[in-house]
Amino acid sequence: MRRLLLPVLASALLLASLAEGRPARAVEAPPGASSCTGCHAAQKIPDSVIPHIAGRKAADIATAMREYRSGAWPSSVMGRIAKGFDDSQIDAIAAWFAAQPE
Amino acid sequence: MTSRRAFLKLTVAAGLAPAVASAQGTGRVVVIGGGFAGATAARTLKALEPRLSVTLVEPNRIFTACPFSNDVLAAIREISQQQFGYDGVVRAGVTLAQTAATAVDAAAKTVTLADGNRLSYDRLVMAPGIDFRWDALPGYDEAAAEKMPHAWKAGAQTVLLRQQLQAMNDGGLVVISSPANPYRCPPGPYERASLIAYWLKIWKPKSKLLILDSKDAFSKQRLFQNAWPQLYPGIVEWVSLSQGGKVTSVDPATLTFVTDFARHKAAVGNVIPPQKAGAIAAQAGVADRTGWCPVEPVAFESTLQPGIHVVGDAAIMGGMPKSAFAANAQAKVCAAAIVELLAGRKPVDPILINTCYSLVAPDYGISIAGVYRPDKGVLADIPGAGGTSPLEVVGGFRSQEALYAESWFKTITAETFG
Ligand SMILES: Cc1cc2nc3c(=O)[nH]c(=O)nc-3n(C[C@H](O)[C@H](O)[C@H](O)COP(=O)(O)OP(=O)(O)OC[C@H]3O[C@@H](n4cnc5c(N)ncnc54)[C@H](O)[C@@H]3O)c2cc1C
Repeated sequence: MRRLLLPVLASALLLASLAEGRPARAVEAPPGASSCTGCHAAQKIPDSVIPHIAGRKAADIATAMREYRSGAWPSSVMGRIAKGFDDSQIDAIAAWFAAQPE
Repeated sequence: MTSRRAFLKLTVAAGLAPAVASAQGTGRVVVIGGGFAGATAARTLKALEPRLSVTLVEPNRIFTACPFSNDVLAAIREISQQQFGYDGVVRAGVTLAQTAATAVDAAAKTVTLADGNRLSYDRLVMAPGIDFRWDALPGYDEAAAEKMPHAWKAGAQTVLLRQQLQAMNDGGLVVISSPANPYRCPPGPYERASLIAYWLKIWKPKSKLLILDSKDAFSKQRLFQNAWPQLYPGIVEWVSLSQGGKVTSVDPATLTFVTDFARHKAAVGNVIPPQKAGAIAAQAGVADRTGWCPVEPVAFESTLQPGIHVVGDAAIMGGMPKSAFAANAQAKVCAAAIVELLAGRKPVDPILINTCYSLVAPDYGISIAGVYRPDKGVLADIPGAGGTSPLEVVGGFRSQEALYAESWFKTITAETFG
């Protein structure tokens, strides 16, 4: 009984926490991802000109990061930041953001 | 999800009663300081592992944020827009102890509070920000700060400096003294000079602003120095260390700044004093001779006291500057690492980002960014990444960065306080 109940309880708590717009979960977040939310928060920020990327397609996020990194897409800070990440790190971060609730 | 399952299996296997017992048993985290680092750490811990018991110790009911407080000086923002409460922190399931921590016993793993209570912890997060070294600049003590405000902890000091500027006669000299490294917000003094100059140009156009510096170089220097003659011709003057800019003493009675070469009598004097980690850090034994707190670069655990993590301005974070962005990023990494450590696992090497915007004018933003990872025991810059905004730009680049700055402030305060 306890075996069944515990995970249910935990996931219910987790869902409640997500619903209240708590900070993005970081425990399984790949290296770098939790820093991204300093600008790209888990929750929607009213009137923000910074794109909300939680729940976007992983491929789109990864493509954007690569294009910022190469300079193919002009940017202000994103090019400078993307240069700190290799392809596999970018893919992991993109997959994590895609898995977050929008 | 794997780590959560593993943790659950562990507690079930150990025959512990669910949630409450395990939280009271091995999962007690105390966080000292409810600023950008501490409030973030407390909320993130609860979000990652709801069964932890997390107590945040913070004496103030309302937090007043420093980022964008230079806008308050230039009267383009009110101090109330800088203020945030702890309702979101409590909603996250964090217990708030609204009092100061007065002592940490690292051996007994307890924190003594000003209200007389004592908290036991399995892991302690210290995020007390900065305190001023009142003994470091002759003439400058807490009483002097009422005449020559620092406004480097936002709140009443910010309001005081703004009132002094507004009361000044047109033609007055504003003097800012900027300290040697390291200190809170490396580009902050120069953003402040810019925004005060912006306000002077409109309201007191015969006035001048002098920066007396204890350094020969500063963050985003060329961007600031290119912009000043263009935006504020004849208003801003910067005196570097080698030009005799180092302030050796002040006289609060006459608002005088003394250097080795000159005495500058100000109409309004802003002293940004030398700093150290918040005083409780030294008491706890986590600050070294520099006054700041050395930590390892993965979980930010003190290299002086095991079981105590230090994040935010108080910590020595290698290449990372003392910024609110960095404090928030470090706190999230630290919280995740603590969840791992409490579950008996080794945290993985993190990557951290910092991005700091400065306003040279309300519609003229510039930025500096960096990406960091542990390298040889410290957080080091990842080579090839980071840097400042370009010196030459076309179109609306600067105004776009000013918009990003404002959106960042809304985001980071929501990320921190909920
Ligand atoms: C003018 C100015 C402009 C700035 N602009 C920017 C910017 O644009 N971007 C940016 O990223 N950063 C900026 N900063 C820097 C930023 O404010 C700091 O880096 C940030 O506040 C550090 O966070 P912290 O949590 O370490 O400290 P703080 O935010 O100062 O929080 C420390 C908290 O600890 C509490 N505390 C202290 N001692 C105790 C105790 N014994 N018991 C309990 N609680 C205690 C305090 O009350 C406080 O609430 C600026 C700073 C200044 C001064």
